[in-house]
Amino acid sequence: MIVTPAALPMATPVAMPKLGMTMEEGRVLAWTATVGAAIERGQPLLRVESEKSDFEVEAPASGILRHVYVEPGTVVPCGTLLAAVTATADEPFDPAAFRLAHDRRPDAPPPTTAPQGSAPPGVTPPRPAGAPPAVTPAARARARELGVDPAQVPGSGPGGRVTREDVEAYAASRPRRVAVGGGVAIEVVAAGSGPEVLLLPGFGTDVAVFARQTPTLSARFRVLGMNPRGVAGSDAPEANRYDLSTLAADAARLVDHAVHVVGASLGAAVAIELALAHPERVRSLALLAPFVTASPRLLAVLDAWCRIAEEASAEALATALLPWFFSDRLLADPTAAARTRRGLAAILSRVPPRTLARTAAGLRAWSGTRSAMLGTIAVPTLVIAGADDLLVPDAPALADALPSAQRLTVAGAGHAVGLEAAEIVNAAILRHLEACTT
Amino acid sequence: MARELPMVAAINEALHIAMAADPTVIVLGEDVAGGGGRREQGIEEAWGGIMGATRGLLKRFGPERVRDTPISEMGFLGAAVGAALTGLRPVAELMFIDFLGVALDPLLNQAAKLRYMFGGKARVPLTVRTSTGAGLRSAAQHSQSLYGITTSIPGLKTVIPSNPADAKGLLLAAIRDDDPVVFCEPKSLLFVSGDVPEGDYEVPLGQAQIVREGHDVSLVAFGRTVRTALDAAELLARDGIRAEVLDLRSLQPLDEAAILATLARTGRLVVIDEATPRCGIASDVAALCVDRGFDLLNAPVRRITAPHAPVPFSAVLEDAYLPSAERVVAAVREML
Repeated sequence: MIVTPAALPMATPVAMPKLGMTMEEGRVLAWTATVGAAIERGQPLLRVESEKSDFEVEAPASGILRHVYVEPGTVVPCGTLLAAVTATADEPFDPAAFRLAHDRRPDAPPPTTAPQGSAPPGVTPPRPAGAPPAVTPAARARARELGVDPAQVPGSGPGGRVTREDVEAYAASRPRRVAVGGGVAIEVVAAGSGPEVLLLPGFGTDVAVFARQTPTLSARFRVLGMNPRGVAGSDAPEANRYDLSTLAADAARLVDHAVHVVGASLGAAVAIELALAHPERVRSLALLAPFVTASPRLLAVLDAWCRIAEEASAEALATALLPWFFSDRLLADPTAAARTRRGLAAILSRVPPRTLARTAAGLRAWSGTRSAMLGTIAVPTLVIAGADDLLVPDAPALADALPSAQRLTVAGAGHAVGLEAAEIVNAAILRHLEACTT
Repeated sequence: MARELPMVAAINEALHIAMAADPTVIVLGEDVAGGGGRREQGIEEAWGGIMGATRGLLKRFGPERVRDTPISEMGFLGAAVGAALTGLRPVAELMFIDFLGVALDPLLNQAAKLRYMFGGKARVPLTVRTSTGAGLRSAAQHSQSLYGITTSIPGLKTVIPSNPADAKGLLLAAIRDDDPVVFCEPKSLLFVSGDVPEGDYEVPLGQAQIVREGHDVSLVAFGRTVRTALDAAELLARDGIRAEVLDLRSLQPLDEAAILATLARTGRLVVIDEATPRCGIASDVAALCVDRGFDLLNAPVRRITAPHAPVPFSAVLEDAYLPSAERVVAAVREML
């Protein structure tokens, strides 16, 4: 019997996903299904590690996990074919030919032209390998209206087709720039729906430092991540320093009513400033490693940070900062430390040295000026401190000065408590937000 | 007040109303009098057509207006066109649309053309009632859905009800229309009952109707397949998929605005037709969506039709041949 390619039963590829614009590669940690096993669509197939997080890749179709192309421990570019799922265990399947047709990594060899053959009636011919994902006409039209490039939108329809709903979700989550006065626009990254939660990142970082909080929070809230002036896609106006009062005023202009505010480190300081200067914008506070008076060590690290950023690579800066941000527990795990360093370097590369200098100058001017005013902050506040935080060792004491503060100290976590102990921190923030929302 | 009546009784009621209201309305065809009117033999009333749709007309309106004809579709349809041209409103019964082949010239080349040929001075207020569709184990020569042929002829109108109330209102509108109308009676629905309003009312030609609202997918159907679409919508609702069902009711004029409006609401459309797929209504609706609704499409348009094959006589095969709710549901799942 001669079987033409067009008549072959179709297998479904599993590829290394691209989660977010910055992800370029991922490491296969482990397969959770074995070759030959029956699987259900949506069942976890494998665990993958990116620079930001570990996640599970789900089966795109029900059937048999027919072939696995990438062994655990291997780092591959996004789009690399990882596995094939067939409907049945005994249908014809050629692993090499399938790889040729479905491996979409940037440096994959171009697929050979499939032999000509007419598809059987009623069967949609497969799209040629290497073709961009299908976009429905309605999605295309909506993308035009919203100014979205449909090629950037991840598709959720059959076969990865981009639908109108995908375009709308993408448009709702893509960064937008909000004018805050003085000709300055601030970049806001939004996700989810529900009551609004404003995320304020720490010194020299962007909203990606909340990468492990955003998925949890956006399931129940509308998360608005602010990239402060000078950071990532926000404008960087000329100034000797970016005062905390200015950063707080920027945040106040992003919303028109009281919202929940989550700040980390310098972002927590900005949140405190926001609650003092613009109390009508703050419904509650969640402060990770907050301070109102910078410790000498913190100021010294900021000096080093500015200097290294001027003179060395983002990787070098991340290597220098890692021990100040994380506990011994993380540093003792070489795999986790290396992954965290790569992720941190990517974030640090989005903040230019001029912004660091201006923000550091603003922080120095502000430090110590607000200690006596904390008693006036009446909104419900959650203070989260890492027990091993070298840079802000007195966060728990700050909680005592706030009239309505709950306090959580996380053992085995350093200054970057939100990254190092994400599950504990997320659970505490959710409890806090829900208590404030109801 | 509405009562429950089978579709055939609603059609019978419409004929009674039309003939009582307008003395120019006449009925002719094979067996429409059904051998009644033989007073000398004591047989005044008879069955009234093979389905009973013309029952009681002979007794009430007399043999001048209710005429049995020989088995010659070409002959009596030609006579009906002539009667229409000279001032009557004939309702001719073409027993099965499968017989269209021997009756096409009066329809295609006369009835459909004369208004045009005479510059609008002639009119042909003819109605051709004809039964369509499969499901009654009547085999390949008495089960076809050939309304696509009449729909494709400019100058003819074609309508097809899905329920008794629409059957009555559409037939009254068809009889009173000044152009030739082919009125299709889905055989499998003739003895299915539904609420029918009393009295004289019309369902305008060319107006589709939404029979179930939803926002996730549009199911476009007509005649027998409206039930198929409603059953599919019910199955989909169990999974939280809200299907909208649009009953076309008229194939020509086609309510294009209603089709595009439901597509605009849902972005996904399945058209269900018990006819064969080539050059048919389903393809026509799909083409409309692509041509004029391209930017509304959030998934490929799917056509659920019979296969490109004659209607089988085997009961098992005939059931498999017809569009089913399960096929509609499967198509919808592939679109989401």
